[in-house]
Amino acid sequence: MIWFTWRQFRIPTWITAGALAVLAVLLAVSGHSLAGEWTASGAAGCHADCRNAISEFVQQATNGANGLVYQFTLMLVYVVPALIGIFWGAPLIARELETGTHRLAWNQSVTRSRWLATKLAVVGAASVVTAGLLSWAVGSWAHHVDHAKYHWISPQTYGARGIVPIGYAVFALALGVTLGMLIRRTVPAMAATLAIYVLAVASMPLWIRAHLVPARHATRPLDVSNVTQFMFNRDNSTMRVVSGVVPDNAWVLSNRTVTPTGQVFSGPADPQYCGENHGPKSCLHWVGTLGLRQDLTYQPASHFWPMQWAETGVFVAVAVALLSFCFWWTRRRLA
Amino acid sequence: MTDPVLRADGLSKRYGRRTALSDCTLSIPPGRVVGLVGPNGAGKTTLLQIAVGMLAQTAGTIEVLGGRPAANPAQLARVGFVAQETPTYAGLTIADHLRFGAHTNPRWDQRLADERIAALGLEPAQKAGKLSGGQRAQLALTMAVAKRPDLLVLDEPVASLDPLARREFLRSLMAFVADHGASVILSSHLVSDLERVCDYLIVLVASRVRIAGEVEHLLATHYRLTGARRDPADLHPGVTVIEGSHTDRQSTLIVRSDTPIDDPSLAVEQITLEDLVLAYMTQATTSPRPALESIR
Repeated sequence: MIWFTWRQFRIPTWITAGALAVLAVLLAVSGHSLAGEWTASGAAGCHADCRNAISEFVQQATNGANGLVYQFTLMLVYVVPALIGIFWGAPLIARELETGTHRLAWNQSVTRSRWLATKLAVVGAASVVTAGLLSWAVGSWAHHVDHAKYHWISPQTYGARGIVPIGYAVFALALGVTLGMLIRRTVPAMAATLAIYVLAVASMPLWIRAHLVPARHATRPLDVSNVTQFMFNRDNSTMRVVSGVVPDNAWVLSNRTVTPTGQVFSGPADPQYCGENHGPKSCLHWVGTLGLRQDLTYQPASHFWPMQWAETGVFVAVAVALLSFCFWWTRRRLA
Repeated sequence: MTDPVLRADGLSKRYGRRTALSDCTLSIPPGRVVGLVGPNGAGKTTLLQIAVGMLAQTAGTIEVLGGRPAANPAQLARVGFVAQETPTYAGLTIADHLRFGAHTNPRWDQRLADERIAALGLEPAQKAGKLSGGQRAQLALTMAVAKRPDLLVLDEPVASLDPLARREFLRSLMAFVADHGASVILSSHLVSDLERVCDYLIVLVASRVRIAGEVEHLLATHYRLTGARRDPADLHPGVTVIEGSHTDRQSTLIVRSDTPIDDPSLAVEQITLEDLVLAYMTQATTSPRPALESIR
């Protein structure tokens, strides 16, 4: 059964291996020039006050060809799990049902459960290896850029680094297999897989990821010398102050300015210091006397791996649930 | 080996509100070539798919070779199945198919498979998708027989074949049965396909088994009676009318009787298997319940 699954699956495997090899060459060539820039900018040998060197490197790395490679590979790590779901997952069972070949397969001396298990094991292993290699290769290539730009944990980059792409791939595969089994037609199952994958992966950073690991909470006196947003409306009735003091390399979930009693500060502004007749300086000085505090919720860089494991766990758990359903469905309902 | 190859009791299958098979009770003795005949949509495929474990029944019980269909690899190994439309993997070669069979069946007979493919004049490197309908059916049959099953189930194997391929297919099926002595159940909506090969017949119409029995016995107990117009009710008590047609002056009846009919007022004729099947099919359109218990 393993031989047969491999026989059915070997062409997609070669195609994927070829594509990964091409990508490896691209990353090797481009990685060489990127490493050159890292050294040339002085960031490589830098030990103290590296801001200038690093910003120089980022400037170089995000423009031109390397910038394109960065964007392209980032996107690729999101797209490949979808392709796995669409081209490996959805047809895995649907094509057999569509062409009736499951009737041939199920009447060899192999139970349906083993038939499904073997298919899933072979294609699942290929999916994990593909997504893992891709994430590792792209992540290694982009290592310096990620760190230099503090992109490591920001939502767009996060989903394309570490082990979550493996979780996405396993989920997409299970999703494709399940939908193919239920819809019984390859092309509609592919379309449905894509739609649900996009929905699931997009909903992660929007609603779920921030809560996977308890966020860190910090509150400190408002530093009026570093305020990034400072607005009040014409009649001084409401105002908004946002501090620019945020931890390095963190995913900031909320950054609020609160009064000493803990309410979100929203004015009103005192017309004696603020308004058209006064400069921003006097108003800011007045704000500094109010005893306001900065209230910050964020995921620090140190939460990267706990969050990666948690998110991968969520997707793998969903995949396991879907596949359990597939086994039940194959035994009881499929014909 | 006298246990029935297939025993069904009150077997039924419903899809929502549609009944595909109702209250099917059968006991098929071993070593027979069984023809399952009935019009399209009668429930033949449903019955066969339940027998090989592709489908689960909604009610009743079934035992095939003494076991539950497709219950385990050993049960699967004992039953060969050629599905309707004889599906094969279009992108794989004949050799790939045979290797698949060899890898997944404990009793696989590679020599038998190779010999069959060679005898058919097929090239093992050929893709199954490039084969003609007849060749594909032969490949599917080869897969099924090389398992060396005790029971071979074929669902309308010749329905899509031209007459020549049909004859070739049935001939090679019978050659296998002669050499290896497996029981066979095959379905068709044409009696003529089955007449030459079957020694046991099941007529299935509108989801119900109308009659089942040895062909010889069926032919020996069914008659066509022709005579002056009469009421079918006043025949001898042991005689059951399957189908009757009447003109103003004459009645023609197809009847079943376990004893010879000795009535000087009637012309008694033997009937062909085709007439017999047609009579049961006609009966099914007029009376929804089978008039007869199956003959064991």
